[in-house]
Amino acid sequence: MPSTQTPPIAGTAIDPPGVRPDIDDAAIEVVTPQALHARLEALRGDGYTMLLDLGAVDYLERAPRFEVVYHLLKMPIAAATVAQVGTPARLRVRCGINEGDHLPTVSDLWKAADWAEREVFDLFGIIFDGHPDLRRIQMPHDWEGYPLRKDYPLRGPARERSPRPSFALKSNVQAGTPPTGRTLEALQEQIRTAKEADRPKAEREGFTAGEST
Amino acid sequence: MSSLSSTPLTPDIVSQDGNSMVLSMGPQHPSTHGVLQIMLEIEGESVVKADCEIGYLHTGIEKNMENLFWSHGQTNAERMDYLAPSSNALCYVLGVEKLLGITDRIPERAKHIRVMAAELTRLASHCVWLGTHAIDLGAISVFFYCFDLREHILDLSEATGGARMHPNYLRVGGVNGDLPSGYLESIERLIAKFPARIKDLRGLLQANPIFQDRTIDVGYLSPEEAVQWGVTGPALRGSGVAYDVRKAFPYTGYEQYDFDVPTRTEGDAYARFLVRLDEMEQSMRIIEQALEKLRVPGPYAIDDPKIFPVPKETIALSMEALIHHFKIVSEGFRVPPGDVYQSVEGPRGELGYYLVSNGENRPYRVRTRPPSLYNLQCLKSIAPGNLIADLVVMIGSLDPVFGEVDR
Repeated sequence: MPSTQTPPIAGTAIDPPGVRPDIDDAAIEVVTPQALHARLEALRGDGYTMLLDLGAVDYLERAPRFEVVYHLLKMPIAAATVAQVGTPARLRVRCGINEGDHLPTVSDLWKAADWAEREVFDLFGIIFDGHPDLRRIQMPHDWEGYPLRKDYPLRGPARERSPRPSFALKSNVQAGTPPTGRTLEALQEQIRTAKEADRPKAEREGFTAGEST
Repeated sequence: MSSLSSTPLTPDIVSQDGNSMVLSMGPQHPSTHGVLQIMLEIEGESVVKADCEIGYLHTGIEKNMENLFWSHGQTNAERMDYLAPSSNALCYVLGVEKLLGITDRIPERAKHIRVMAAELTRLASHCVWLGTHAIDLGAISVFFYCFDLREHILDLSEATGGARMHPNYLRVGGVNGDLPSGYLESIERLIAKFPARIKDLRGLLQANPIFQDRTIDVGYLSPEEAVQWGVTGPALRGSGVAYDVRKAFPYTGYEQYDFDVPTRTEGDAYARFLVRLDEMEQSMRIIEQALEKLRVPGPYAIDDPKIFPVPKETIALSMEALIHHFKIVSEGFRVPPGDVYQSVEGPRGELGYYLVSNGENRPYRVRTRPPSLYNLQCLKSIAPGNLIADLVVMIGSLDPVFGEVDR
């Protein structure tokens, strides 16, 4: 039960991806940005032929702030049968990076990194040195800000709603189609008078049933 | 060429430079199966360079998921690959269950229902692919045969979840309610109908000289290139690499099922077509086995009121059940801190979710590994040297879904 389950020792709220021994989905390796390219090149030579995915996480209150995660798969290319593929090894390489720092590109090692790095750049603002074509991929080219950062707002600034006349009012229906090209004040005035006209006559003139008797 | 990397795109989409010409194909081109823009550099009718512009359908689904409860995530996940909703939901809920540490406690029946849902959705997705692929090549009747088959599957989806496209049937901890009455009989009818239908489809296309002319030796993808580009699924198996997540990293009980992984070594559009057709037959084999397993009644969800909502009828009778119900609806459940990479074999390839939890009732980060994104990316490598008309075949044979590419 999750309520009685003690959180893993390494995992904390500020450092979520601590090693969870109960989840063995992949081997985990942590490298520094300086050692990243050499390590990944060595891993590729070691048989990690496929870069499954490349993504980033923004740990806002932690240093280093970002973490770029590489998912690697050790698969023989000449595996023509399921038995030859077997259960390939998976490796997760995590690389912490501060805001404003650059990472070396790995698109020279795996072509798959091309769009993945562009996406990380687009949504997190992490720059990959040596990438052949580093520009926005999901957001429009003139977009400002990096939407997947944790300090990026969920919605834009609040806009004032423009008032619309209520066409369901009886007086409006009787008056026919309202004229176009009016100012806001005129529109509000019209709504006010229309509402006024819809009120019962007795109430409008300040009389109530109690007073008249 | 420099003319292609100009950002932003110039308003005059056609420009001439020496022998070559830059032409924008899409984003409204019908053969791009969604909103894909390809900046083509062409010489005459042959493609010199193809550069895809994506992002027209970017809706920030990952950002949205970070701001919803864990229990709401699969609703959004289903919107990514809208042709195979249950595969996405399956991958997400398996990942969350791993983080919760409840993978071993999922009842057998729930696992078989999930397998059934995943294979049905694969079948439906391949039906759409085949129908539209054939339409791209000018064969219209295939489309109707495929969509008739798909209609049957969508009816089943409606019976389980109430919606045809996004049933939201798979939940963390199990599935939302047992199979409705008449479901298994409808599966039986589907099984009975399928062999004749796939024979028709094969008869219409497989030996058709026009179809063969258009697809054989078009869009050749070598196994080395495929692995380099991170291509998975039928496109990778069409190039001769037998990587299938269901076999390599079995999940939700796939190890109990007997099925083959069809592969081809040719690596062209025709090979990918044959692999997908064979895959449909293998899916049907799995569905037949799941049907037998589902005849045994049993619980369909985990017995844990903190994760899976209690049955509605107990709420009026038990105070405890009411409290559980209130808690799970108003604040969801908390997931212990940690990160996990979970992947399943979707209709387009390896679909993965990298989930990070910081112990709250919302995911800290949901990163999708969309198979379509990586598959589509290799267009850059296989398009040059081919005709523009063949580009349509290549896009069709890679089968991208733009809800997933752009998210």
